[in-house]
Amino acid sequence: MLELSLLRALLFRALTLFGVLIAVLVLLAVSLGATGFSDKILQATVGEELRALRTSLTQTIRDPDQLEAALEARRRELLASYGLDRPWYTRIPGMVWRVLTLNLGEARNLRSYDGSSRIADIVLERLPNTVLLLTTATVITAVIGILAGVWMSTRVGSRLDRFVAYLAAVSYAVPTWWLGILLVLLLAFELELLPPGGMYSAPPPEGGLARFLDLLWHSVLPVLTLVLASVGPSIYSVRTLTLNIAQEDHVTVARAKGMPEPIVRSRHILRVAAPPIVTGLILGLAGSLGGSILVETIFDWRGMGRLYYDAIAGTPDEGLIVALTFMFTLLYVIARLVLEVLYVWLDPRVRYEGGP
Amino acid sequence: MRLELRTVLRELWATGAGRAGLLLFGLLVLVALYVVLTYPPDFGPRRWSNPALWGDYPKAAPPAWTNLLGPKRPEHRILEAHSPAREDGNLKVYELAFDFQNDQPPTFLSFSLADVTYQARPPTVEAVLIRPDGGRIPLYRTVISGPFAGESPPYRRHQDEALRVALDTEQNAIEATYDYLVRQTPDVSYDEVQRQLPLALFGRWGDGGFVTLKGTYRLEATVSVDDPRDSVGLVRFVAGGAVYGAMGTDAQGRDLTQGLLFGLPIALLIGLAVATLSTLLGTALGLISGYAGGRTDLLIQRAADIVNNVPVLPLLIFMVFVLGARLWLILLVLVLFSWPGLTILVRSMVLSLRTSPEVEAARALGASRSRIIVHHVFPHIAPFIFATLIFSAPSAILAEAGLSFLGLGDPTLPTWGQILEQGFRTGAVYLGYWWWILPPGLLIVLTAIAFMLISLGLEPIVNPRLRRGQ
Repeated sequence: MLELSLLRALLFRALTLFGVLIAVLVLLAVSLGATGFSDKILQATVGEELRALRTSLTQTIRDPDQLEAALEARRRELLASYGLDRPWYTRIPGMVWRVLTLNLGEARNLRSYDGSSRIADIVLERLPNTVLLLTTATVITAVIGILAGVWMSTRVGSRLDRFVAYLAAVSYAVPTWWLGILLVLLLAFELELLPPGGMYSAPPPEGGLARFLDLLWHSVLPVLTLVLASVGPSIYSVRTLTLNIAQEDHVTVARAKGMPEPIVRSRHILRVAAPPIVTGLILGLAGSLGGSILVETIFDWRGMGRLYYDAIAGTPDEGLIVALTFMFTLLYVIARLVLEVLYVWLDPRVRYEGGP
Repeated sequence: MRLELRTVLRELWATGAGRAGLLLFGLLVLVALYVVLTYPPDFGPRRWSNPALWGDYPKAAPPAWTNLLGPKRPEHRILEAHSPAREDGNLKVYELAFDFQNDQPPTFLSFSLADVTYQARPPTVEAVLIRPDGGRIPLYRTVISGPFAGESPPYRRHQDEALRVALDTEQNAIEATYDYLVRQTPDVSYDEVQRQLPLALFGRWGDGGFVTLKGTYRLEATVSVDDPRDSVGLVRFVAGGAVYGAMGTDAQGRDLTQGLLFGLPIALLIGLAVATLSTLLGTALGLISGYAGGRTDLLIQRAADIVNNVPVLPLLIFMVFVLGARLWLILLVLVLFSWPGLTILVRSMVLSLRTSPEVEAARALGASRSRIIVHHVFPHIAPFIFATLIFSAPSAILAEAGLSFLGLGDPTLPTWGQILEQGFRTGAVYLGYWWWILPPGLLIVLTAIAFMLISLGLEPIVNPRLRRGQ
């Protein structure tokens, strides 16, 4: 019974998130189709293929009329296969399916490190860098938030408490990326303490450990930026949540029974505060994911965010932009799902919902 | 308990954060009003993005007040005369005098003429610099272009765009300066004069190099006319500084004070417009969802669930990229992504209000559904909605700044995010041009904080749990 209701709750969340994924894809497809953007991309692809075909055919077919006829036949074939002979909205299901199965097409100018132009290759190569940056920052923020927040809840009204409250309010008003620029200006150029950007020194050091340390060294500034931007609200929300629960009756009862303070705190306060803290993490995730696009741009961190910027700047690469928007949504949905599982596991109320 | 807007404002004023927020917000609105009234609406394309207008400004110069803190760098001087200082027969003499007390020479020199009118023969103009040591150096000489075939007098020249001469590279000026200096000290080298004309012109040769010569300099522009009615409406001499204005300039020489001021009304507009529209949309949908129930409720709640769970920035970037970078489109997209949170909250408030004695009484008296919503439900949630409106404004401002920073800002309206983007893209961070990077960000933060403070002050008024304690 317990497992069943737990599964049902999880399934419901998973379905909603899957709905998000589909809705985003349909939104992408409709906005590309209705604005004529997708026609432009596909026509360009067809033109590209025909040019390649012409150069190869001129080797074998001498007669110009025959050559043109062959090319025209191939053009029709291509138009039909891309669905350009039909109105845009009939292509939506196909496009949604292709993107869902990570059949993302070819990039125009950008290449992966081993020279592949397949978007899936490029994106998958960048994905770990973004995940590394974001998880490191999120974990650090969460750990500081929980430790400092619980500690702060025992010092309500102190000067430090007021400072954290103001820090949290100001954090909402400071753009993360601007904070990053300030840190570069100050720590990288003024004090020359840290590298201003990139992921490795040039040339990168030899050997696995040295390379890893170099990566760590380069990640200090971007991680610091992301942590500084979100640590204030994180501490403050943990403090407030713990404080509210510490005033509830069951805590007073536990204390009255003479339970040792550490047990009261871990079993009766933190255990109850855990689910809303996870909810806070869930909400913060969306912000840090979007923020990573800007932060990676500033620090030249070779993740998906920087790739997104490169795809927009200069000659825009529509295929890459669609793929990246989808990948960001996918990443977000997966992270949400992980946190949902954590939430269900932590919150007994969700588990017993509907059951005895 | 119902809350009138006036009561809310009075209680807001009573809190420290609320008062600070209202004062800051009032100040920002006043400055924004000044900008709206004094700046042309096409400031972006006509002034900000028009390089021709910024030629006479120093490039990437820090603010003038930095002279108080560090080495004294020359200020920017623009000297203008609109009418001759004296007339001598058919000579009209314009005089521009200034005191020069710097250790460094001007960064560039330029001479401009505008608004020239003549009746028959084109006038000639000669510009001479008179140094504190009495030396007269002829810098530039020109004849205004003659009448075209079929043109009738009076002939007007350089009406819209001034005739501008960069004196640094003007051959006449270099030769005249060399001729003068070499008569004083024979070991002056021509190459040195050519390489650094402003220093040679504003200096003397000493110990193997030039040092600046301090004192009063005068620029005389003599216009010789044929007809007494002939006139030159503007004579301008610019001695380029290494510092400029209150906020400095960017790499194109644009006065950052102007750009940053123009960004203020836009930022406030973005914040208030997006906050108002998304609050209206969110409230309306929440009221409908909560009061209608059934299938409408389900539809709205599922839609809210989905939009609420979308990673906003990547989609925002995508939508603006596809639809085009127009400010109203950016605002629209921001509104479309920011309603769900409020809808979910308003719905739950409506659900609990629906069974309140007040609403039940109204329903028993036969009030219509819309009347109940407008008169018996909405007033209870109005203060909460007002607080949400204020609270959501900063995120819209920050979102637009982020988009602009990625190069997706409306190119016809310079915003703070765009100024930051141009600074970042041209390497202002690496070159240490802090005056280009700090102020736009600080202004974004300041504007956002004004809203944050007001919403901090609103919290005890709006949150019933906190209010009960009073």
